Amino acid sequence: MTPTIYYHCPCLSTDSIPPPPNSPSSSYSFHPLHELFFFSGYHCPNCLFEVPSASVRAEKNRCARNCFMCPNCRNTLSVVPSDPPDADDLRSLASNMSTVGGPPFFLYCNYCRWDSTEVDITFEKPTGLAAQLQKFEDAAPESLEFERLKEHFEPFLRASSSSGLSGHLQAAHSHTTHINPITAAASSALAREISGVAKYTPAPRGRRDKGSRDEISEYRSRVEVAGTKDASNVDFMRRLEDVSQVAALAQRWTNSWTMTLHSSDLRPLRIPLHSKKTKRCPTCRHILIKPEQKAHHDSARQHGAGNRQAAVEDTSGASGLHAGGTYPFQLALTNPLYDPIQVRLAVQRQIPPPSSSAPDGSPEKARRPPFAVSLPQSAFPVAAFAEAWEYEDDEDMFGGGDDELDWIGNGKTIGVLERRANVTVVGGEVVIGRDAKGPVKFNMLVSYTYRSDDPLGDEDVRTTPSRKDKVPDMKTFTFYTVVDLGDEIIPRFS
Amino acid sequence: MPPIRDKFAIHSKAVVCQDVELKGDITIGSGTILHPKATIFAIAGPIVIGANCIIEEAAIIVNRRKEVMRIGDDNLFEIGCRVESPSVGNFNTVSTRARVHHTVRISSYCFVGAGCLVVPTDDEVLDEYTVIYGPSAERRVWSGRGRVQETDLRRKHAEYLRETLPKFNRLRRGEGHGYGA
Repeated sequence: MTPTIYYHCPCLSTDSIPPPPNSPSSSYSFHPLHELFFFSGYHCPNCLFEVPSASVRAEKNRCARNCFMCPNCRNTLSVVPSDPPDADDLRSLASNMSTVGGPPFFLYCNYCRWDSTEVDITFEKPTGLAAQLQKFEDAAPESLEFERLKEHFEPFLRASSSSGLSGHLQAAHSHTTHINPITAAASSALAREISGVAKYTPAPRGRRDKGSRDEISEYRSRVEVAGTKDASNVDFMRRLEDVSQVAALAQRWTNSWTMTLHSSDLRPLRIPLHSKKTKRCPTCRHILIKPEQKAHHDSARQHGAGNRQAAVEDTSGASGLHAGGTYPFQLALTNPLYDPIQVRLAVQRQIPPPSSSAPDGSPEKARRPPFAVSLPQSAFPVAAFAEAWEYEDDEDMFGGGDDELDWIGNGKTIGVLERRANVTVVGGEVVIGRDAKGPVKFNMLVSYTYRSDDPLGDEDVRTTPSRKDKVPDMKTFTFYTVVDLGDEIIPRFS
Repeated sequence: MPPIRDKFAIHSKAVVCQDVELKGDITIGSGTILHPKATIFAIAGPIVIGANCIIEEAAIIVNRRKEVMRIGDDNLFEIGCRVESPSVGNFNTVSTRARVHHTVRISSYCFVGAGCLVVPTDDEVLDEYTVIYGPSAERRVWSGRGRVQETDLRRKHAEYLRETLPKFNRLRRGEGHGYGA
């Protein structure tokens, strides 16, 4: 079993001190790092263009530039010119004929060689494709339906948003007598979905004044979709000769409207946007994890105050953890900040649960913790994060020798083992008691300190001596983690 | 099994790097480029490669049948691919790490995508303009649109390599340096 590290976020639990890790309910207090993310921004996975949140809605969550998805293999399409005319005779290429293609341009998939001329989409210019396709997109059935829905609900949305503010404040006191139709619709939909949830009715306070409950008129969709197309689909399937004529589910389900089953009808789609995630501390609103400023394929760097990745490597050997043994382990701490930090680790003292199975045993035995963990006691530094190209030699990046080791305890196992780039590996030791059982898990308090300049500190203080001196202060942050060394203790039968 | 007798007939205009492993009866046409670390094994039968082909690094072309394996002109065998097909036409592309079994005969203008395994159990012939793509080696037929630009690109690719490769790699000289004007 691989060792893991989970983090305790005080914002998400009521107590700032985490519960003992071995109790069954405490798994809810600890999270792997990737679960602590919230959403931040949108970008196109193809052109990596950051789309501001305002235009995301306008563009219906798709890339507004020239990024299209092949309907056949779902790769990106590229815009290519057509072949020059009368070049069918390949021998004429030997003479100096230009083979530069010209308009009309079309979309071409490099991967499966599908091209958009199969659905009759060609362009006169290779740029601004979205604009050129705008007419077709606006005439698509889903857009028209959506427009109709928006028109239908617009008056009620306006009414609810204007009363929305006051309604929100009053909701806590349940003084609301005015249910706007949006809330009514939402609550009845919820009641329909989940049995047992009653429809929301405000506390009746006599007659509702002003009779302010609006009724939404019945909505009639533009197109009756009630199964008229199925007959032709069934017919098509009956006469099928080649399975590739049918559009596969994976090719159809990104579309918001039912599509025909014919694979020849598949059209290129604008690429849907991906979101980036960040985490903001709910208490102090400080950004803890911030994605890269420019969308880099799938990278989110931890930035600012907050969590750090700590990877645990278990070096106890393949045989597992035996009761009564002593095992070393290593913790690799990675520093995402641009400043070097000093880290201090501490093991949270555990009070083991009273053992009920030893009524006549000595009380000290019941209270002896099943294992003892030794970690380096003093603070150790972890270097700042720097991009790979900033290191002049590979040695700096991949770690030099063991200078400044901290010799505590049994020789070389506890203390700073290695320091490379922005990662420091420290060793610890766990001594397992003779009667210990269960997985080896302990809470570890990590606190780190760094000297930070003022966030505006990029300015050159020398040239503006009139400014007040910004004293860089030391910031300290602490968080709890639970370290799980993975293996269950193998009991000793003696 | 009789020992493999090497017999190379390499055109003088072909560019064959020194690090290429050649075994058996091999004929290489004019303008063909063999990158270093390419491997051509004519184990059981001879291999004849046409003109202006490009065989990249770690590509393996093997003939384990007694019949002649004929490869046409202007083909591109990308890095790491393995081709055992007894007959290959013109202007094909076998992409990186693809494998083509000895049961398949490739005609012309085909494209085997990266990593695709074309390994049918029965003999078959790939029609012209077949495209094989995807992890499960799905197929479809290319419309042929854009082939003029692609053939032009292939020629330019080969021409560039013919000029540049000899500057940075040692070329194979010596025995079997055969024919060609």
